[in-house]
Amino acid sequence: MPVSKPDSALLILGHGSTENPDSSQPCWDHAETIAASGRFASVHCAFWKEEPSFRQIWPMIEEREVYIVPNFISEGYFTREVLPRELELTGPTTVRHDGRVLHYCDPVGIHPSMTGLLTKRALEMLDGSVPPEEISLIIVGHGTGLNQKSAEAIKAQVDALRAGPVPFARVLDAYMEEPPFVADWRRLAETPNVVVVPFFIADGLHSYQDIPVMLGIESEPTEAASQREVFRHNPRHIDGRVLWYSSAIGTDPSLAEVIVDQVAHFDAHHRA
Amino acid sequence: MILADTLDARLPPGSRLVFGELLLTRRHDGLFEARHGDDTAADSGNLECLSSVGELRELAKYDASGGYRPLKTAPTLKGGWRTETESPQEFLARLDAVYPGVFAAWVAYEAGRIDAVPLRRTLDRQTGMYRLAGTIDDAAAARLRAELCGPGCLRRIVWPIDDTSPPAPVEPTTDSIPLLCLEACTFAVSRARELAKEARARAAS
Repeated sequence: MPVSKPDSALLILGHGSTENPDSSQPCWDHAETIAASGRFASVHCAFWKEEPSFRQIWPMIEEREVYIVPNFISEGYFTREVLPRELELTGPTTVRHDGRVLHYCDPVGIHPSMTGLLTKRALEMLDGSVPPEEISLIIVGHGTGLNQKSAEAIKAQVDALRAGPVPFARVLDAYMEEPPFVADWRRLAETPNVVVVPFFIADGLHSYQDIPVMLGIESEPTEAASQREVFRHNPRHIDGRVLWYSSAIGTDPSLAEVIVDQVAHFDAHHRA
Repeated sequence: MILADTLDARLPPGSRLVFGELLLTRRHDGLFEARHGDDTAADSGNLECLSSVGELRELAKYDASGGYRPLKTAPTLKGGWRTETESPQEFLARLDAVYPGVFAAWVAYEAGRIDAVPLRRTLDRQTGMYRLAGTIDDAAAARLRAELCGPGCLRRIVWPIDDTSPPAPVEPTTDSIPLLCLEACTFAVSRARELAKEARARAAS
């Protein structure tokens, strides 16, 4: 059932960055798409490391009912601790001291539709020169360190892909900071052709600067600002292998629909 | 629409307001315009016309030398542009692209709907890598305000150090919209953490 909330506000939460100007862009892009659809009275973004911050957002929102969707990749420290604390949430639905009703939805990264989105993202990068059944798909995440739950989210996606009719030779998970390491992609993937999709929200430090070095695309981290160079030259020929490297899954325009889907999911599970 | 109506009323036709580094004007025919205060006397034809929220957000993202501006109230907004619209709602959205939520915060504070949050309350609720920030002493807190906030941000600090001190008074003005700082931001929390680490290192040596 299509989501129509003409009296409610939608608040999209992002991490943001004090160092990388591209980090918050997907949130703004998805907000603009959803706002243009007219399905909510207003659409807002708030960030942990940028403005408006989670603490600054309330005076900007004039609706009584607010759906809050974390544009985060996994359940974990941020979605369970930082966001509820900063927004003073007490459960799935919170009634604020000013009478406003806040509905706290699941993060986008754990929505079931992300599985199909990963396949779509990988397929649309290919130019038809190699059939997908001769290509390994590697989903890359952060792994332990900043967010231990991110690996769980990726393992769940890879399991779901393997359980379904996936067109690729194999589907693998790999991480920046825990085994299997993305830097070992040549050994992990048995096929000569490999497509890599970073399971990140934005093309920030990790997917734009760190992982390309680990893959051997770049010899050292590049400047942040522009993402164009890293993603323009697909496929790459590295050590006799053919490699396609995608921008972060969170930059896909379809994420706007996943954000709205999480509102529908909330209503189905908490307000039915 | 209440916020847009408030902006509409605060900036009636034929008036002007200073808003941080911005000069806001309302022509007699009702058109809203914003430009950098440094461009007050510039011929409109010599200024680049920015006509969307997205263009203004992109403008506010970088300083004149191309450096990233994560703090939108840093005194480094680029000039050489102007933006105009007839709609108070669209004008507010464009102002929010430059100074996110600052107008709304002022309206809410003036109406008594929100209070300043003492620094200690902000620091004490931090967890993870920022938990240490809450250990700074009052001297370090004063240093944070003087060294980080003072030169680096145009906001006027309203928050006191702790619950025992009153918030700084904010006098109502008719010719400007104040950029209030009602709670220490992520930069202040990060700096508090650094100061706490320095203090800990000094104590250990």
